[in-house]
Amino acid sequence: MNAAVRGFEAIGRRSAGFFDQVGYGSTLLAASIYWLLVGWRRRQPVRIRMIFHEMQQIGVAALPIATLLSGTIGLMLAIQSLYSLGLFGAEAYAYIGIALSVAREFSPLIMAILVAGRSGSAIAARLATMTINQEVDALQVMGINPVRYLVSPVVVALALMLPCLAMWANLVSEFTAGFYVSAALNSSFGAFVNDSLTVLKTGDIWHGIGKATLFGVLIALVAVVNGSTVSGGAEGVGKVTTLSVVQSICMIVVADMLFAYIATR
Amino acid sequence: MTSAESQREALHHIAALRAESTAQRPTETELMARPKVVEVDHLDFSFGSRQVLYDINLDVRAGEIMVIMGGSGSGKTTLLRHLVGLMPPQPGKVKLLNKDMGSLKPNELLDLKRKIGVAFQFGALFSSMTVAENVKLPLRELTDLGEKTMDIMANLKLEVVNLSGFGGLMPAALSGGMVKRASIARAIVMDPKLLFLDEPSSGLDPVVSSALDDLILKLREAMDISVVVVSHDIDSAFKIADRITVLDQGHILAIERVEAIRNSTNERVQNLLNRRSVEAEVDPAEYLRRLTGD
Ligand SMILES: Nc1ncnc2c1ncn2[C@@H]1O[C@H](COP(=O)(O)OP(=O)(O)O)[C@@H](O)[C@H]1O
Ligand SMILES: [Mg+2]
Repeated sequence: MNAAVRGFEAIGRRSAGFFDQVGYGSTLLAASIYWLLVGWRRRQPVRIRMIFHEMQQIGVAALPIATLLSGTIGLMLAIQSLYSLGLFGAEAYAYIGIALSVAREFSPLIMAILVAGRSGSAIAARLATMTINQEVDALQVMGINPVRYLVSPVVVALALMLPCLAMWANLVSEFTAGFYVSAALNSSFGAFVNDSLTVLKTGDIWHGIGKATLFGVLIALVAVVNGSTVSGGAEGVGKVTTLSVVQSICMIVVADMLFAYIATR
Repeated sequence: MTSAESQREALHHIAALRAESTAQRPTETELMARPKVVEVDHLDFSFGSRQVLYDINLDVRAGEIMVIMGGSGSGKTTLLRHLVGLMPPQPGKVKLLNKDMGSLKPNELLDLKRKIGVAFQFGALFSSMTVAENVKLPLRELTDLGEKTMDIMANLKLEVVNLSGFGGLMPAALSGGMVKRASIARAIVMDPKLLFLDEPSSGLDPVVSSALDDLILKLREAMDISVVVVSHDIDSAFKIADRITVLDQGHILAIERVEAIRNSTNERVQNLLNRRSVEAEVDPAEYLRRLTGD
């Protein structure tokens, strides 16, 4: 465990390869959890106040754009489903595809991409700036462990907020899709919701929530790994910020596929 | 600590700081009789294949101001980073207050870190917090003090470095000298036994830089701490140091009291002193005086 606790101290050293980064990321994750669990016993508690602050930034502040995106996704799915099912006269079953794909796929994925672009980049940039300004060194010499102070709150906040955003996206997408479908088919909105609820199993919801949590942790780790291995001044900050967004979106998509594969076997 | 205690301490500090610095430099024997607060033992360090520090042996005595002086790139910052535990010694040993940082348990290490304060070359203030929040951060994260007490202690330290009234500003709004002083305030907020300063006078105009020298001298008196200053500023070093360590391309050339460094017959030490004088274009009389160590 000692190695994990001191993980962040390896910060000055560049992690060159992908596997180095994965190793560093896992160490950071272990250290974050460690500080979360036993920090208070070592006089280094992870502050609830800081977790809330991050949750506010990551989740609450993203609500308007999250609503807009998921609402549009709901409309898009409704349009596509009516078109494709209309090819063989099965429009009435549009709710099945919409309910399942929203809960299992679109909500977690779209919210993760949104958060990676919005918050992952901000976290990477912030950490990179702090590293370059020696603020991380300053924490270290004060005896404030940088992992518990900077990383743990971010990991927790992302792991908690992304599922919340995904749940919200479920509601909004279902609403807009139902609105469109019922208008197009001249049926009732209530019937659409009812039908959707009968087809949706708790397992489907959990599938989406589980993925969202995983994506949240991934975004946090990719941002922290990139931010803390920055080199070369302001230009370096820009570079790791971009890199962090690209890497997390790639990892989200791959993890999504793997998760779907494993969870449906 | 209660508020009343803090306030009493505040008055004590301010009284001590108002008084002009009168202390004489301790004699060699006086100095050597004091306990060691920093010990460096056969420290080597390389960045990859490039060796930056060669067999560094050094000690700092209680209450001493030790200036580590050397040209740019001579390894001063690297040495300082070893002293404060940011770089683990590869071969060699660093002891602070008689404790070897490498072999301490986490809780002991934390206790030790509370007893040292570090001000970085560029301040390293947290840019997302006000100056006062910066100064309060160690208190907030490492003690159980109430908000009121923390305010008092932070204001006290800001007053010590002559920044009272600037606590509400963000670091970006401060001038270079103010950033240095704010970072010193943060470094001393836990009342450390040992203070490390990296290039306190670099990038400052002579007047501000000289005021900072006075501040360092007064801090030592008021707070009874030992100070390690890294600097390439010869004037400043001569003014504040009890002893000077001359670092040249990673080698220690001399560790001597100020007069001995001034009069050093070591060619490289003289080169270092002179090169700086030429660069600064001081008037010839002053230059000659410095050369002859008058
Ligand atoms: N992160 C680093 N990687 C490689 N070399 C470095 C690094 N930091 C400093 N150096 C080199 O080590 C030497 C000493 O640097 P430093 O301790 O910063 O000198 P000073 O503080 O005396 O100006 C310099 O030659 C510098 O180029
Ligand atoms: Mg330096």
